[in-house]
Amino acid sequence: MADFLSQYSIQRWLEMCPQGYLEDTVYGHSPELKEPVILVGNETLREESIRTTVQLVVGERCALAASSGLVNAAPDFPSKRFLATQTLDEARHVEIFTRRLFDLGVKEDDLESTLDEFANPNLVKFAEVLLEKVEAGDFIAGVVGQNIVLEGMAFSVFEMLEAVSREANPKFAETLTGTIADERRHVGFGENRIGSLIREHPERKADVEKMQAEMTYHMLATFADSFRGNAAVVEETRAVAAAEGFGPETAEWHGTDLAAASPEEMEAILADTVLGEFKTRLGRIGLEYQSPPVPA
Amino acid sequence: MSTVEQPDRETELAELVEQHRARRAEGSERRHYDLDDRGFNEVPKKWRKFYRHWLGAGDTLAPNEIICPVCKVVIRSVKEIRAGDRLYCMPCMSRLLVVEADDGTLVPEVVY
Amino acid sequence: MSEFDPHALAEEDFLEEVRSVDFWFQAVDGYLRDRSYGRVDGTPEPVMEAGERDNLITTLCNYCVGETAALEASSGLVVIAPNRHAKIFLATQVLDEARHLEVFIRRLSDLGVEDPEHEIELRANPNLVRFKDRLLEFVADRDWDAAVFAQNVILETMEYTVFRAHLQDADPVTAQVLDGVVKDERRHLGFGENDLGRRLVAMPEKRERLAEVRAELDELVLVTFEEVQDSVGVERSARADLGGEYLAAVERLGLT
Ligand SMILES: [Fe+2]
Ligand SMILES: [Fe+2]
Ligand SMILES: [Fe+2]
Ligand SMILES: [Fe+2]
Repeated sequence: MADFLSQYSIQRWLEMCPQGYLEDTVYGHSPELKEPVILVGNETLREESIRTTVQLVVGERCALAASSGLVNAAPDFPSKRFLATQTLDEARHVEIFTRRLFDLGVKEDDLESTLDEFANPNLVKFAEVLLEKVEAGDFIAGVVGQNIVLEGMAFSVFEMLEAVSREANPKFAETLTGTIADERRHVGFGENRIGSLIREHPERKADVEKMQAEMTYHMLATFADSFRGNAAVVEETRAVAAAEGFGPETAEWHGTDLAAASPEEMEAILADTVLGEFKTRLGRIGLEYQSPPVPA
Repeated sequence: MSTVEQPDRETELAELVEQHRARRAEGSERRHYDLDDRGFNEVPKKWRKFYRHWLGAGDTLAPNEIICPVCKVVIRSVKEIRAGDRLYCMPCMSRLLVVEADDGTLVPEVVY
Repeated sequence: MSEFDPHALAEEDFLEEVRSVDFWFQAVDGYLRDRSYGRVDGTPEPVMEAGERDNLITTLCNYCVGETAALEASSGLVVIAPNRHAKIFLATQVLDEARHLEVFIRRLSDLGVEDPEHEIELRANPNLVRFKDRLLEFVADRDWDAAVFAQNVILETMEYTVFRAHLQDADPVTAQVLDGVVKDERRHLGFGENDLGRRLVAMPEKRERLAEVRAELDELVLVTFEEVQDSVGVERSARADLGGEYLAAVERLGLT
């Protein structure tokens, strides 16, 4: 354990992040990049961007609360130290996505009400399941919930958003790329550290798997709300973007052209990708993926 | 390596105030300063020249400098400091208001 | 007029700037980039007598107790912080404190300590451990004011004073490590005093409660402080004036 954890030192983190891929960025992107004028100027496009970004802030706030809350529950110094770096990473994610809301025209004083207005209730429930474990000081469930389930979901969502934004919105794409680089470390830690703990505590399996099923349920419900449940808006946004000549002609992600896919197809490819990741990752740490009941 | 010590603030600030008085009496304009980087590396580059370390015995404060009461760093301004000025200490995040004490010295007060 | 005059910022912009992760990145870059685990590469390990080394080990072990307290308390405070600026700032403090623990543990290894975590337990000053327990109780009770006061005012002032005093006659490697830590602590104690100061202005009734906390913790702090200075071997006459700095902060907050 000590050996693999030694790569998660603060020293290494400093060299990799502030002195590495984040060097010369301002709030996660090159200083000269801005949100595209069209996005800020067109009410339909702007509102959709705000809606998407709000979900990112909600997810990152949950990750910040979870990673900081787990420092105390961690059984050893190297894990505490890793979680300290993750706490800072998550705070940075909260910060850059909050910044994006401001860049999209949300007023500082309206931040909380905007979050309340647009936050997907299923995503909020997803966060609550995790934070309950953290609050109880349950390190194993907390790390599985945070570093495998939450991060696994975030990882794929960010990748997907990055694929659609790469051409049309390099500023947002850059912030996502840095975030993805951070999340990679988090997912890695989750697998490596928890694998050994699950072996030591097989009695915890059932409990942790139950939490995973619950979180997965809320996650799929969130996806359903965002695509199928929001299909009219998604289509309208796409029509407006096309009329304005905004957005990529094609955006290939996991074999699907996101620029042409219907909301249903987008939801399916995202859910399949995330669930596929869950299954492999959980399998590697000795847990069995539990299918949730299909959300209505 | 520089160390930070409590300066003999009274003497220095008394001098400072004397200089202010003299200039005010002459009706002189408030003086401006071009700041140079003094190697203070605890804040982002663009703000560095606004701060410096107190060098201990032998160091003196210029009319555009004042010591942060919270963290003892020397705060520098592009203008000569006068009562009523608002200054920020970035190294410790304090907001300061310069006031004239009963004895005529200029003292930074922390504004919460 | 300079393009970037910090003193010309509006108050909200100033706070937004200094409490951001972005500010933190650029601030620590200034003094940590050329260092590895807080020390400048190639600085030779000083020759030390056995007694001197042993004293230094005891001191560093107690620094680790203080840093562990700060790491566990600051991380616990993120979730109860009253606003987003405070949450972000505390996240940077969590990282700082973990780094302090890392560099001190590394220094212990340099000095030949094989199992630093065990050694820290053996040499921990009981008063400091009591202080740590009390601080973590405040956090567990979600008592923001008491916890910030205990951590960012009391503990940080003590560390700040002790580290700066120690810096003056430490061996070159320890001095380099301490120097970086002191620079971080400046942010922490400033945050604590300013946050509390603001809250006390808005809610003066909290003063009484904090005065109680202060009365409870004062003794622990002062005794620990004396004992730590004993272990560093600071001459009594040359001792840093903790009383002075601590009292000045408490006075500014109106908690005397
Ligand atoms: Fe994140
Ligand atoms: Fe200061
Ligand atoms: Fe510290
Ligand atoms: Fe600190």
